[in-house]
Amino acid sequence: MPTLSDIEAKVSRGERLVTEDALFLFNHPDLLAVGQLANRVREAKHGDRTYFNKNMRVEVTNVCVASCLFCSFAKLEEGSPGAHTMKLEEAWRELETRMDDPPSEIHIVNGLHPGLPFSYYEDLIKGFKRIKPDIHMKCFTAVEIHFFAQHYKMTYEQVFEKLKAAGLDSLPGGGAEIFHPEVRSRISDDKATGAEWLEVHRIAHRMGLRTNATMLFGHIETFEHRVDHMQRLRDLQDETKGFQAFIPLAFHPDGNGMKNLPAPTAIDDLRTIAVSRLFLDNFDHVKAYWVSSTPDVAQIALRFGADDLDGTIVHETIYQAAGSTSPQGLSYAQLVRLIREAGRIPVERDTLYNVVKEHPRAAMPEAAVKVKDRKAHLHVIGGAS
Amino acid sequence: MTVRVAAVGYLNARPLWDKVPVAMPEASLSLASPREVARQLAEDEADVALMPVAAAAAFGDVEMVPGIAIGARGPVRSVVIVSQEPIASLSEIALDLSSRTSVVLGRLLLRRLGTAPKFLGMEPGEIASQVAGSRGALIIGDAALALENKFPHVLDLGQAWFEWTGLPFVFAAWCAREGRIDRAQASLLARAKELGLEERGRLAAEYAQASGLDAASLQSYLHQSIRYDLGDAERAGLERFFLEANRENLLPRAKVRLVGDASAQVAVPEAIDSLLSRASQGERLSAAEGERLFTEASLHEVGAAADAVRARKHPEGVVTYIVDRNINYTNVCTTSCRFCAFYRPVGHAEGYVLSREVLAEKMQEVVDAGGVQILLQGGLNPNLRIEWYEDLFRWMKQTFPLGLHALSPEEIIHIGEIENLPVETVLSRLHAAGLDSVPGGGAEILVDRVRKVIAKTKCRSEAWLSVMRVAHRLGLRSSATMMYGTTDTPRDRMLHLLKLRELQDETGGFTAFFCWDYQHEQGTHILPSQTGTEHYLRMQAVARLMFDNVDHVGASWVTQGPDVGQVALRFGADDFGSVMFEENVVSSAGTTFRIDAAAIEGRIREAGFRPARRNVKYDWLTVPE
Repeated sequence: MPTLSDIEAKVSRGERLVTEDALFLFNHPDLLAVGQLANRVREAKHGDRTYFNKNMRVEVTNVCVASCLFCSFAKLEEGSPGAHTMKLEEAWRELETRMDDPPSEIHIVNGLHPGLPFSYYEDLIKGFKRIKPDIHMKCFTAVEIHFFAQHYKMTYEQVFEKLKAAGLDSLPGGGAEIFHPEVRSRISDDKATGAEWLEVHRIAHRMGLRTNATMLFGHIETFEHRVDHMQRLRDLQDETKGFQAFIPLAFHPDGNGMKNLPAPTAIDDLRTIAVSRLFLDNFDHVKAYWVSSTPDVAQIALRFGADDLDGTIVHETIYQAAGSTSPQGLSYAQLVRLIREAGRIPVERDTLYNVVKEHPRAAMPEAAVKVKDRKAHLHVIGGAS
Repeated sequence: MTVRVAAVGYLNARPLWDKVPVAMPEASLSLASPREVARQLAEDEADVALMPVAAAAAFGDVEMVPGIAIGARGPVRSVVIVSQEPIASLSEIALDLSSRTSVVLGRLLLRRLGTAPKFLGMEPGEIASQVAGSRGALIIGDAALALENKFPHVLDLGQAWFEWTGLPFVFAAWCAREGRIDRAQASLLARAKELGLEERGRLAAEYAQASGLDAASLQSYLHQSIRYDLGDAERAGLERFFLEANRENLLPRAKVRLVGDASAQVAVPEAIDSLLSRASQGERLSAAEGERLFTEASLHEVGAAADAVRARKHPEGVVTYIVDRNINYTNVCTTSCRFCAFYRPVGHAEGYVLSREVLAEKMQEVVDAGGVQILLQGGLNPNLRIEWYEDLFRWMKQTFPLGLHALSPEEIIHIGEIENLPVETVLSRLHAAGLDSVPGGGAEILVDRVRKVIAKTKCRSEAWLSVMRVAHRLGLRSSATMMYGTTDTPRDRMLHLLKLRELQDETGGFTAFFCWDYQHEQGTHILPSQTGTEHYLRMQAVARLMFDNVDHVGASWVTQGPDVGQVALRFGADDFGSVMFEENVVSSAGTTFRIDAAAIEGRIREAGFRPARRNVKYDWLTVPE
């Protein structure tokens, strides 16, 4: 059994944590001590810089053949109440109407629709690029890519080749849920397996696409399953270096097949952010997805290991359907303020973490600066960033 | 620039300020009670103030003008505890609220006598009449001179201190916030003292004339009893006083710092780690120390220190909550606070007063849901008379088995004004009619500069505190609150905590402290500043560290949301507030959170604590599992 100071020493030496360490941290009663350690790693990697982007969510269809227990859109058929599939023009209009202050990224995640031609997706991307040629298209989870490959009878490589030709720039990290078969077989047994999800990302990375990785926590999984999940991601990242950010997503129980489970609480959110920051030493970024955790908790997560808040988002529907009380979008000014009030430096980035604009820090609280001066001797070696 | 000089008006201080207009023709001079003078310095209404040294220690960022003080080496005559029975046998002491130094010194000396009587704060005019049986009085300043030789038992605090320590005692000195006055200005005050001491004969004679007291006795008072130096011996006495008071947790750790003193001992600030460690051990902190923790410590550090204090005060690892309901009996209000979205002016079509039928329905729901209390608050409605409240309270208490936690200080003052009755009478009558305890709302920030901006017509800080003082004296417990994030600075917040802590020293009547940030809504006129979760958690943690004398700190999940409320349990809170049925004031500002008892208990457990229900006095009503 490790102790907190063993782990602290490892972190200071830049030594990789093992499963046992991560489990110890998940079970440690002193949340603040774990958070403080994660914060050291976060600050060693990024200082006070806290990233966000101007992005827009588009969900062109919620029709889905999969029956994931956690999803409020499970097994939704075309024509059912609440089912909706956008016409391409309808999707493009989302961007056209925002061209006075356009997003830099469009993030598209959909249900697994059995009735659309593959060209729909190619045209979808092309259309956005026509409206704004430099827009970054972050589209389709590995689950969708896997579905495309099966449904349209292609290899993953072929799917990517076609989508890249249409304008695909990177992949979001969704659909990962929990990789371990004990859990995955119970919550989403009719879509890409953990191994398939990882294989899609492996190939994406090999083909030059950067991607993110998520983990849906707080339902029926154990801490062991979470660590196993992160271990698989860390192994693939060692191999490909293609992941940008890790994004823990809190399960929301409204209107889905696990509505009797309590939602994970803020404490679990913060702990999961912190442990992932410590365990995933080869990931540059850990994102506090404010839609899942609420902006208030996301702000605190910036002191528990997170360095990214995702973006303005504009129009979010998946968590909304699962009972999230977070707003559907935050304005640019709200995000800057959220970061500044936490004593951090807001940095607008593009999808690939190039700096678009660095904002000045707020005068208060000055804690971050002064604390670092004071703790200068506690040197933290960054991971493979 | 005009230097704003504030001084205590007492005879003993007069030689120091009498010639200020001559030595400093550019300065403005205002006179007030010791407490008020200290307040002016703290709230930046004065640049230099002749004020009690205990207040200097409580503020923590004050320098003293070298060479000048009001002190004594032996009997002082004007700071005395008097009584009909031997001092060591007293059970209560009525005291003049206006001087912290005398109160702290009194407590120290009484503890040495092996006694710790209850202190009752009074207005200066009321005190002498309180002396009877085992109740004595601590009398200071000119009032003490007028009562000399009137009581069989007298403890002269100057003399007792000298007998204990062999050192002079310093009651007051010229104080300034760090760096606010320079050596040149200090030397002008020294010049004023030089000139003023020459006038002692005249000043004593004038005062004898005006007061009818014996002239020779007053001459001797100003020439022999009171000593006006702040040299090495006085400084040693002062350092010793600070040390003893800190040892008994009556004052924060304090050093004597002099204007223009650049020695290393005072120039290097204490390391934050050391301050954190003292704070987490429960040591009393100054306003300046609280402000440093708020702005310089990391969120984790300040949280861990607060958590340590919480764990020491509540080692059972239990977090409580109460099942109650907030009923806003009227939204009609004459105050028109600029941050409030709830009120309607008199005569407005949307104004309401809840009927008995509606109230009965709401209260029955509370009873049915296992609730134990009603929190009844409303606007300042000029149409409601005290009899209306009395009838309502009696009816409520007769009809429903519920505690009545009702009427914030603002409402009590309002009823007093309408009825032309003193606050004490209003509270006594309402208490008799069934009032059980008083909510601490409306405190906002107890710094008048801020109150004038956000709530122009609301009661001033001293009035708010004085309602609580009276309530506590009548045996009514109350909570204490703070709403920050409008135009207040971190220092204002610390002064707010300090004022509550000082009242708590006096009465012990506060059960718990809750704070929240200003919940802004479109249409109100004040923009939020320094709000958000990071600030909230820091603020709550620092409050836990500042309130060494308040038992409970509650997480305000109603305003911050249940998620942040849960995290706040690791930042010093031991209470999760209430399972509220409704909260009209906050929900008008666009913040609405609903949560049931099971969800609250789940969050408490997830945070690592055992939940228990409580009543308003924080007694457990359920046995934590």
